[in-house]
Amino acid sequence: MKNTLTCREAARLLLEDEEHDIGAAERVALQVHVKICFACERFVAQLNFMRRATKAWRKHSETDGEDERPE
Amino acid sequence: MRFARTQLRNDAWAEDAVSESLLAALERPQSFHGHSQLKTWLVGILKHKVVDQLRRHTREATILVGDDGEDLDEALFLADGHWRNAPHDWGDPDAACSRRQFFDVLQVCCDQLPPVQARVFMMREWLELDSDEICAELSISTSNLWVLLHRARLRLRDCLQLRWFGEASASA
Repeated sequence: MKNTLTCREAARLLLEDEEHDIGAAERVALQVHVKICFACERFVAQLNFMRRATKAWRKHSETDGEDERPE
Repeated sequence: MRFARTQLRNDAWAEDAVSESLLAALERPQSFHGHSQLKTWLVGILKHKVVDQLRRHTREATILVGDDGEDLDEALFLADGHWRNAPHDWGDPDAACSRRQFFDVLQVCCDQLPPVQARVFMMREWLELDSDEICAELSISTSNLWVLLHRARLRLRDCLQLRWFGEASASA
């Protein structure tokens, strides 16, 4: 079983996972990689944060953000 | 207005979308039930109008290929697949979300994306359209969409690192 991903492959899978479910084998390989790789672990944290931040941004702009008024 | 402009990348279309939204709101005030804030209601209408504009102008938007030529992966990774620069630790990034400035930075970063990446990212994250809808609107394949979103997220990450977290860690 090939479970040694490079960081580049891991990053690609992580980004794919944002859009659609990746395969089970890929998920296992990914989890193994992220456990042993501090850089990719940080990348995961960054992606998670970006997801939360975009949501917060959308909410901010839709409710209490002050838009410029069109004249 | 800013919302429409970011999404449409065209001031004239954005103005049309905003005007149409206001007209629609004035014509059907009874559809506002007071359950939601007035602004939320207006933004909801605006989203529909923005999608209408996109649909109307899809034919004109022939910029789908060609703005993403450079290989982002090459810039981020070494030939052996390792990170060229390991991602930085962003610490406790959620504190940022309570700051207005942070959203301004996010806005700037989105504005700097290549046009098509920006468009699919905004359709996905702001208009909350699903993949099938976006692909249908822009006549692109799902795998194309994934590549575009993939690149958009990598670029946004880079931009946030540079413009927000870089500064934060420098001042810490």
